[in-house]
Amino acid sequence: MIELKSVTKRFGGETAVDAISLTVNRGELCALVGTSGCGKSTTLRMINRLIEHDGGEIHIDGRPIREFDGRILRRRIGYAIQSTGLFPHWSVARNIGLVPRLLKWPAARVGERVEELMALLGLPVEQFADKYPSQLSGGQAQRVGVARALAADPDILLMDEPFGALDPITREGLQGELRDLQSRLQKTIVFVTHDMDEALALADRLVVMNAGRIVQQGRPLELLRAPADDFVASLLGGDDRGLKEAAITRVAERMQPLSLRLLPQARVHRDATLRQALAVMFREHADRLAVIDDEALPVGELSLRRIVGAGREGGSDT
Amino acid sequence: MSMALLTRWSAPLVWLGLLLALAVGGEWLEPLLRWSEPEARRVLYPQADLLTLLLRHVQVVAIASGLAVVIGVGAAILVTRPGGRDFLPLVAQFASMGQTFPPVAVLALAVPVLGFGTWPIIVALLLYGLLPIVRNTLAGLEGLDPAIEEAARGMGMGGGQRLWQVELPLAAPIILAGIRTSVTVNIATAALGATVGASNLGAPIIAGIVNGNTAYILQGAVLIGLLALAVDSLFSRLLPARQ
Repeated sequence: MIELKSVTKRFGGETAVDAISLTVNRGELCALVGTSGCGKSTTLRMINRLIEHDGGEIHIDGRPIREFDGRILRRRIGYAIQSTGLFPHWSVARNIGLVPRLLKWPAARVGERVEELMALLGLPVEQFADKYPSQLSGGQAQRVGVARALAADPDILLMDEPFGALDPITREGLQGELRDLQSRLQKTIVFVTHDMDEALALADRLVVMNAGRIVQQGRPLELLRAPADDFVASLLGGDDRGLKEAAITRVAERMQPLSLRLLPQARVHRDATLRQALAVMFREHADRLAVIDDEALPVGELSLRRIVGAGREGGSDT
Repeated sequence: MSMALLTRWSAPLVWLGLLLALAVGGEWLEPLLRWSEPEARRVLYPQADLLTLLLRHVQVVAIASGLAVVIGVGAAILVTRPGGRDFLPLVAQFASMGQTFPPVAVLALAVPVLGFGTWPIIVALLLYGLLPIVRNTLAGLEGLDPAIEEAARGMGMGGGQRLWQVELPLAAPIILAGIRTSVTVNIATAALGATVGASNLGAPIIAGIVNGNTAYILQGAVLIGLLALAVDSLFSRLLPARQ
């Protein structure tokens, strides 16, 4: 668990982070969003003491981080950044094994751990272990960066726009993988991004920052439905907010059981998002869809009214 | 030795072979030298054999360059650490001053203090050779990708670990290039030492100038040229081929 209590950071006369308080629970993915220069990266880097905070307190698992030596603290916290920062003169395997070696693990255990992580991140050992970073694609390099961050099996992972420099397809793929990894590993993750779709797709808790302060925090749906002010509303996409909400709601949550009515031709998968369902309706000129499962068997149906209207709790529908 | 390895090292080997052959077997070239100086009484430099002069020459350059590397690289590392950053402009300026100071002037100033012989030229070469080393080491260490520094710190590496495992290996090609320039220039400049009594490959050149004997000059100059070429091509093989 990470707790920030009225944490402040000044650079010269400028206040970069202004008395923010934030709790990230164990196993939670917390996304910090905001415009450039809002203090989100500074906040992240104060957690592993790459930047020292001037005021307030930061606790990890109940202990103030100032109690730890900075290097010891950082070896216990995974860290992944946008430009990966892989060492160009080291092979992939050596890069991944960095923190375990700093922790003086025996060589055999480091080797095992590196292979385990490469398997976890879909990097075949025989193909990638001896490659150098310059021989990797952007997506592969970022996987290695994440593997390196996870190497010593830290409880906490800090990620600073890790997918920011990737093309949209690779980015979405890696976001999906991160979600899968997170559901298996249950790390406490603080994730900085300025890509709102990414934040909405990944975050358990969304924290919106502006000018060094936290403007609003909560579950992504809460923020989408009730933005605190115009800034949050526009950051969340203005009028596009509805579509963003549709993009993080699954069809399975809104579908109805099969009725006696004839099933429509147009179909959508139960794990698709409402946004995708809307796209199918738009394309097929249909206002009702059959919902199917992995075997393409119908398991329910979804109407336009159901999507747009009575979606809220207790909403009734015929 | 594999073929590839032989090809890779062929250039330095050729230069070295030629250098040693000329230093040891200069007599065989007497007809050729005679042709350059038909009137002179002798055409082979008589004072000392060329191999000894060559070894002395190498020795002077090695001592001066070795000291320049230790001092230059060391100073550049110190002023790029957090504690020494205040001295960065001072060190950079001192190194460039060293190079603007003509070696002849250093020799003239050093002789009254150090006496005739080898030491004045070692001091002159040391000062003269510092700039390329300091400048390149600074450029190499300061030019590292900030993301790599950030990652190294973020993973929990200490200052010494970052220096030895990350910064120096990554800056090595640039630092080596500086050392290469410094050594090559010093091989040529070391000949000046002969004017203040150091016995090296400059001696035949000075003797040739004094006696008007082109053959002497040629022997010294060709050997110095070959030595510079051999060392320079050795350095070019030392630079890593990877990346």
